[in-house]
Amino acid sequence: MPREAEPSLSERQFVLQALQENLRLDGRELDQYRPLELSFGDQYGVADVTFGRTRVLAKASAEVTVPYADRPLDGIFNIATELSPMASPAFEVNRPTETEILLSRLLEKTVRRSGALDTESLCLVAGQKCWSVRVDVHVLSHDGNLIDAACLAVVAALRHFRKPDTSIEGGVLTVYTAAEREAVPLSWLHSPFCVTWSFFGDEGETAVLDATRLEEQVRVASCTVSLNKHGEICQIAKLGGVPVDAVALLQCTAVALTKVKEFSELVDKKLAEDVKKRDKGGFMAELSAENER
Amino acid sequence: METERLIVLPGETIDPSLIPSHQKLPLRLGPGLRHIPPSDIVPTVAGQLITNPARNSMWIEYNSQRYIPSTSDLILATVTRATPDAYLCTLSPYTPPATLPTLSFEGATKKTRPILTPGALVYARVTLANRHMDPELECVSAATGKAEGLGPLAGPGCVFDVSLGFARRLLMARSREEGGVGVLEMLGGEEGAAGGGGLAFETAVGRNGRVWVGSESARTVVVVGRALQETDRAGLGIEGQRKLVKRLVREVR
Amino acid sequence: MPLDTSAYNLALLRVDGRRWNELRRVHAQIRTQAAADGSSYLEMGHTKVMCVVTGPSEPGPRRGGAGAGGGGGSGGKDAEVAVSIVIAGFSSVDRKRHGKGDKRTLELQSTVSNALSASLHTHLFPHSQINISLHVLSQDGSLLAALINAATLACVDAGIPMTDYVAACTAGSTSTYAANDEAADPLLDLNHQEEQELPGLTVATLGNSDRVAVLVCESRVQVGRLEGMLAVGVDGCKQMREILDRVVREKGQRMIQEGTVERGVGLNDMDVD
Repeated sequence: MPREAEPSLSERQFVLQALQENLRLDGRELDQYRPLELSFGDQYGVADVTFGRTRVLAKASAEVTVPYADRPLDGIFNIATELSPMASPAFEVNRPTETEILLSRLLEKTVRRSGALDTESLCLVAGQKCWSVRVDVHVLSHDGNLIDAACLAVVAALRHFRKPDTSIEGGVLTVYTAAEREAVPLSWLHSPFCVTWSFFGDEGETAVLDATRLEEQVRVASCTVSLNKHGEICQIAKLGGVPVDAVALLQCTAVALTKVKEFSELVDKKLAEDVKKRDKGGFMAELSAENER
Repeated sequence: METERLIVLPGETIDPSLIPSHQKLPLRLGPGLRHIPPSDIVPTVAGQLITNPARNSMWIEYNSQRYIPSTSDLILATVTRATPDAYLCTLSPYTPPATLPTLSFEGATKKTRPILTPGALVYARVTLANRHMDPELECVSAATGKAEGLGPLAGPGCVFDVSLGFARRLLMARSREEGGVGVLEMLGGEEGAAGGGGLAFETAVGRNGRVWVGSESARTVVVVGRALQETDRAGLGIEGQRKLVKRLVREVR
Repeated sequence: MPLDTSAYNLALLRVDGRRWNELRRVHAQIRTQAAADGSSYLEMGHTKVMCVVTGPSEPGPRRGGAGAGGGGGSGGKDAEVAVSIVIAGFSSVDRKRHGKGDKRTLELQSTVSNALSASLHTHLFPHSQINISLHVLSQDGSLLAALINAATLACVDAGIPMTDYVAACTAGSTSTYAANDEAADPLLDLNHQEEQELPGLTVATLGNSDRVAVLVCESRVQVGRLEGMLAVGVDGCKQMREILDRVVREKGQRMIQEGTVERGVGLNDMDVD
């Protein structure tokens, strides 16, 4: 069975040797991210995140359904991850790999369990009707650090998303189209972001941010910290691997906080740009008889 | 020598005037061309049509993603497993392994043969490339019995992935003139001379899109690797490469 | 069920009457299963876990569970640590059956596997597999910690060479995430009720060192709280290591008395630390 090529010995040795000299193969600093790009689609709720050659697309969508019987006052919020053969032939459709399970658990813990989205606001009629919001995460290209990229994409997509406005009159639920009433954003409480550290060396003494695929194959341990800009930890996951000194982990968390603040600013800035781009002079511009074509 | 830079698409008809007609030599078709009797020659891939009237040959130069071994290609392989009489090597991910007989090294006999651990890198030549069988490799020239630069790549260094077309251009005898790649020359050239980097390193270019860069200094390896990858990805011309080398060399200092 | 945290401030006693730095009662046994290569039974309070280790042996046919593998290492050079966790349907209050493909269970499996394969000398057993199967009989908080401790004990019993014990425990904090109160105390070894209400984390360390093999936090907490919680957790791991070590030594001594192990060899080994 042909399989994924493992990095050769000389690559392994070289990556480690270079890291000891504070060098990385692409010339970055140890705690530097690759060029990060975030763009939104024409539709609401589509975010495309690129970290170097890693690319993740997230799309948020919503529909009206019946809430779960045990949570009649809450809406439904799901994150679906898909690692398809598009990203790497190692991934097969309908057979989740360990990477995919850990990725989806991390996103779930970071975004859903930390209460970033107010699910109570998704409830329309208690026990009968609620919004079901789903984010589909598609990994388009895999060159390491999927977790950070996916988390950024999910948060950006949800904050960009607008759901149709609704009203209830006399027990009749009306969902308005975008032409009738402006779509409304989700009730968003805080924006968590993941920062993944990779550890190298016999005792995990070298910590590196935003590892590439090759570095991920060589690392001995990793630790993902999720924080929001207010300095609240939403989740920490160092799932095994070589033991790392406790003090070093605390330092990593502190650095992660500064990175999270940068991410937060970036998303805010891009969202503001997007709003400006969409605002073409308001109502009058819409009524204009002139066509673009 | 090639005269035209003509891009062809699969199935296109090739202007008969472009087909070289030599008095004595038979017409030789290279990769990407198919002969449909009696006299049609049809491209099967998209790329640049190159003709060589002196040798009465024509082929298509194209940049594909997947490496398909063909005889006498120089490649960079990773040993994955050892069997009693051969090493199994990977040329590219998700392809069947290639076999490298333990005796096809310089001076190897049944008693003295190089011991390669899984993960070791070898620079080898493809001896057998057949679509129904796993490819076979050798690290010694069958004619002379000498290694001629092939063999295990030890020493500090790293492998960088480049596109197949770029690897082919690097391997051309005069890569600067024909292939338009001068990064390596510039990086290794005399300091102070026209954009010379003055770096000491060695390379082994594999047609499977992998380049090994070796040097005692890790910094040099990183710079050379980045120069190669950036030239490849951005498709830089000679002038762009000169600027890139200048910038990278300045970063090192 | 809101936890009455006001009581803590008055008497500095937790819901089950412990102080902030007390572990629950830990009871452990090794060599409980005669048929297995290594086995253990561990109770941390009301969390009860059994573990059976087989191997290192030739890898059997691959099972469907994708997440079962883990820190195997490259190309069969090292032994693969395959962990399977069965959570009994009666183990928790809500009597819910956990299916095989439950992502949380798969995550636990991969965590236990990766944590142990960093401590076990897997490079001594190329092309082989170490099977660890864990059964959760009763859950009352600190599940991951109990799983790691039980797996460590069973590996010791199976005689698999390892660097040191991987001992785990949980730590929490009396403040909720929103409250930034300075008076909040860190807590050691959370039970189920505390785990539901308070922020907490699971720590596993290697032996007596401060090196953290596993650190899992699943609740929102101020970043400033982390240091205190981690310190208490690491300290708890050291206590836990002592307990595990005592269990192993007592069993060893009993085996010598019963004559299952030859005296001369065994006793000398026991005294060497």
